[in-house]
Amino acid sequence: MKNRLRELRAERQWSQGDLAERLGVSRQTINAIETEKYDPSLPLAFRIGRLFKQPLERIFVPGVASGA
Amino acid sequence: MLYMWRMSNSSPHDRCDKQSGCIADKQALRRSIELNAWLAVSAVTYAVALLLIRRHPALSPGWRAGLALTPILPGLFYLRNGMQLLREMDGLQRRIQVEAWLFAALGTVVISTVINVFNAQGIEARGLAHGLEVGGTYMTMFILWSVGVVIANLRYR
Repeated sequence: MKNRLRELRAERQWSQGDLAERLGVSRQTINAIETEKYDPSLPLAFRIGRLFKQPLERIFVPGVASGA
Repeated sequence: MLYMWRMSNSSPHDRCDKQSGCIADKQALRRSIELNAWLAVSAVTYAVALLLIRRHPALSPGWRAGLALTPILPGLFYLRNGMQLLREMDGLQRRIQVEAWLFAALGTVVISTVINVFNAQGIEARGLAHGLEVGGTYMTMFILWSVGVVIANLRYR
C-alpha cells in the first residue's frame, strides 16, 4: 500500500525516530511502512491519522498489497 | 539470544531523549533479561537433572521421571515471559518473530526428516544415529530462529 508518511514526516521535520516515539513503535516499523514493505495494523493506521490530523484515505492509498 | 530479542523487538524508541521512551526501552530490556534468565535456568536444570539420573541409576522410575521433568517448570516461566514480550511488541516486530519461529520450526522438521531418511538408508552421520534427539532439536531450532530473525530484519530494514 502506498502512503504519504515520509512526506508528512518531512513537512514536520521529524526524524523516523521522532515519529516512532510519537506512535510508540520501533523506528524499523516506520521505515518499513515508508518503504512500503509493511502495511500498518488498523490501530496503528488510526494513530497515524490522528497524529497528522488527516483521514486515513489521504495518508494511505490502495495499491499493491505488501501484507498486513 | 538477548541481542537477538533486542535487535528484533524491544526498542520501540531508538532515541531516549524523552522519559517515556527511556521507560519503554528499560521495560523491554528487563523483559528480555528475564526471558534469558529463565532460559538459562531451564538449561542448567536440564543439565543437573541428566547428571543426577546418570549418576544414580538405582533411582525408582518415578524419581527418574520427576527429575527428567524438572526443566519444564522454568520452561513454563520462559514461555510466559516470551508471550508477554510478544504481546508488547508492535506489529512488525511480532511479524519478524513469527516468521523466524516458522522458519525455525519448518527448518528443524526438514533437517530432522533428512537425517532420519539417511539413517533409514544406512547412511549415518556421526552422533546422529538416533536422529536429532531432544538437545539437538532445541539447538537446531535456536540456530534457525537466530538465522530467521536476521533474515526478517534484513527484509524489513
